[in-house]
Amino acid sequence: MKTIAAFNIKGGVGKTSTAVNLAFLASKQGYRTLVWDLDPQGASSYYFRIKPKIKGSSKNLVAGQLDLDDLIKGTDFEGLDLLPADFSFRNLDLILDGKKKPTERLHKLLAPLKHNYDMIFLDCPPTISLLSEAIFEAADVLLSPVIPTTLSQRTLEQLKAFLHDKKLKKLKLMPFFSMVDKRKKMHLDIMLTLPVQHPEILATYIPYASDIERMGSERMPLAAFSKNSARSVQAYQALWQEISRAMSL
Amino acid sequence: MPLHFKLPGHLSIDKLLLELEKQTVLELVTQHFALKTFYDSFDWRLYRKNLICEYDQSRLSSMLFIKEADSDNIVHSVQADQVPSFADDFSQAELRDLLRPLLDMRALMQITTLDYTCYQLHIHNSDAKTVLKMTIEHYDPIQSRVILDPVKGYDKAFKRMSKLLSNLGLMPTQEPVLVDALKTQGRKPKDYSSKLNIKLAPDMRADIAVKYIYSHLLKTLKLNEQGVIADIDSEFLHDFRVAVRRTRTGLTQLKQVLPVAQTKRFSSYFSWLGQITSEPRDLDIYLLHFETFKNHLPDTMKADLDPLYDFMVQKKRAVHAGLVDKLKSIDYYAPLIEWEDYIRSAAIKKPDETQALIPVKSLADRRIWTIYKKVIKQAGAIKEDAQPSELHTLRKTCKKLRYLMEFFQSLYPESTIKMLIRSLKEFQEILGTYQDLEIQQQTLKELGKEMYSQTDSPQTLLAMGALIEALGKQKIETRSAFDGRFNEFNQADNHTIFETLFKCGAA
Repeated sequence: MKTIAAFNIKGGVGKTSTAVNLAFLASKQGYRTLVWDLDPQGASSYYFRIKPKIKGSSKNLVAGQLDLDDLIKGTDFEGLDLLPADFSFRNLDLILDGKKKPTERLHKLLAPLKHNYDMIFLDCPPTISLLSEAIFEAADVLLSPVIPTTLSQRTLEQLKAFLHDKKLKKLKLMPFFSMVDKRKKMHLDIMLTLPVQHPEILATYIPYASDIERMGSERMPLAAFSKNSARSVQAYQALWQEISRAMSL
Repeated sequence: MPLHFKLPGHLSIDKLLLELEKQTVLELVTQHFALKTFYDSFDWRLYRKNLICEYDQSRLSSMLFIKEADSDNIVHSVQADQVPSFADDFSQAELRDLLRPLLDMRALMQITTLDYTCYQLHIHNSDAKTVLKMTIEHYDPIQSRVILDPVKGYDKAFKRMSKLLSNLGLMPTQEPVLVDALKTQGRKPKDYSSKLNIKLAPDMRADIAVKYIYSHLLKTLKLNEQGVIADIDSEFLHDFRVAVRRTRTGLTQLKQVLPVAQTKRFSSYFSWLGQITSEPRDLDIYLLHFETFKNHLPDTMKADLDPLYDFMVQKKRAVHAGLVDKLKSIDYYAPLIEWEDYIRSAAIKKPDETQALIPVKSLADRRIWTIYKKVIKQAGAIKEDAQPSELHTLRKTCKKLRYLMEFFQSLYPESTIKMLIRSLKEFQEILGTYQDLEIQQQTLKELGKEMYSQTDSPQTLLAMGALIEALGKQKIETRSAFDGRFNEFNQADNHTIFETLFKCGAA
């Protein structure tokens, strides 16, 4: 089982689109895939038309008193399930804080799912907190969408510094450019310079595209409603291929 | 787990959909024509292990499923353009590993085919999310099926629909579609077994009981006949030969029951059938055990034996063609028709034969007890310097005893007779192995002579020589275990049971 977290300290960078679209592509390849919507806003739950609510409290969930498998919902797509968000997830930091070894909790909670799933995508809230640390402990890959702006450059550096401090050797950071608008000079300039300083940035980028925005109205992954030839669909396919290669899948 | 319902005859698919649309939001995803073909070995090796092999073909896909018979759970599924005959012919390793131990040397055969119209439907909630999947399989010859496939986390929708279907008169069922399909042909699963299961009453007239036994054996012989001719797999010929040998044992061991003239005539007919099937069967055994043969040789020599395999394949082809000619000739089918007419004919009121009217239990007791004593006498006379022919004679006597016990097993307490048969079988094994090794050595020598003029590979002849030597060593080892096995069979407890079961009635 591989755990991939879509994470960025900043919001609105395309984390949910990344988690949902890549999870869909993984399931299409035959991987038994789960998306865990950890963001209390419940955007990925919304994309799959699943109510952002879990049976039982977040407290019991973190305490390991709920069977994660009982909370999982089947999506409309074969081999792709979702663990929905819950508004109470906004308190996950506080709940974790009250536990022993809080950063290991998420990893422990996910362990029993390894028999049922080959791939778990974590759609993470935009924050750097105790929950983020727990996510970093649990994940094999940290996928971080980066909009090519100066502010994003700063948050990437903050994230790298944080990961360096925490000595998370197992975790592989894979930043990639997201919401790229090639008409903007700043985007082009940053895409040329930033990979020199941060060679781990993936070669594939996701363009800013109206059909990605349409996911909100269609309420399904991009490739489920858009043509295979669409630029954005092809970009996600290329991104998944690059990640698969980097993960030696 | 999917839940199956049978659609009552009075409810059409259109009416069902109309009723469901009143209470749920349905989306018809596809409606297409499809074909379902069921496969198993002739002796139902998959079904006996609670498995069904189902091949579904439609314009959308061709899928092969291995499902659990009692739950419809999919154990394995794979896209397949065709269904191979043997486990080893499957390209997917997982499927090969699943089927190989179950099928062994048996081929997969088409059992039955059903065409149907498949409706795939999704049931939505208020967010247009699919909360339940439903498949309707509309068959003409059997009751149509509705299959509910729950979506994880949406149990309520599943329960609600189950109730709705029950209210509309649909009956939940766990019976596989295969069972319904076979019913239309007057068949049922596991309707063939090579094992004898003949129910006799102790006081039946011996002549009637014996004809009843022969009719069972004739049925087995005829069921296997086409498989032998088509050479579907080697077990058809094996079962065919066992039926022949059992019949012959009956005719030679149960004398003075049926008229002498018929007994003599048909005995020589079945002897002929035994002869003409002997060489093809021997070649089948060599081909089946070829890998074991190779394992007798050092690694450097193994590949040298491969030309022998090709030679035997060619030889088998020619020998099989000869057998097919004989099985299609009047020499084969005319006596068989007469045999069938004879064993189906009504019993003579006052037969001349002295054993014809006695109760079958007395006949069984007497014959089994006599042959048992013969086995003990012959086995006891086997000394260290005994010739292979003496062991072969003992082996044949053991087979006679085994067949008699199997014919009449329903006349004795089940667990006791089964235990005795098992004990005899273990003793027979060593005799069988010894005789097989003896024959294999002889045949390899003969094949070597035949190949000598045809092969330009002296390595193959050398490898065959090494194999003959290895088989010789194995033969010596087998022979040295004889006394131990015989003592196990001849233990006092066994003897007492034989005596209790058969001696009193035989007196």
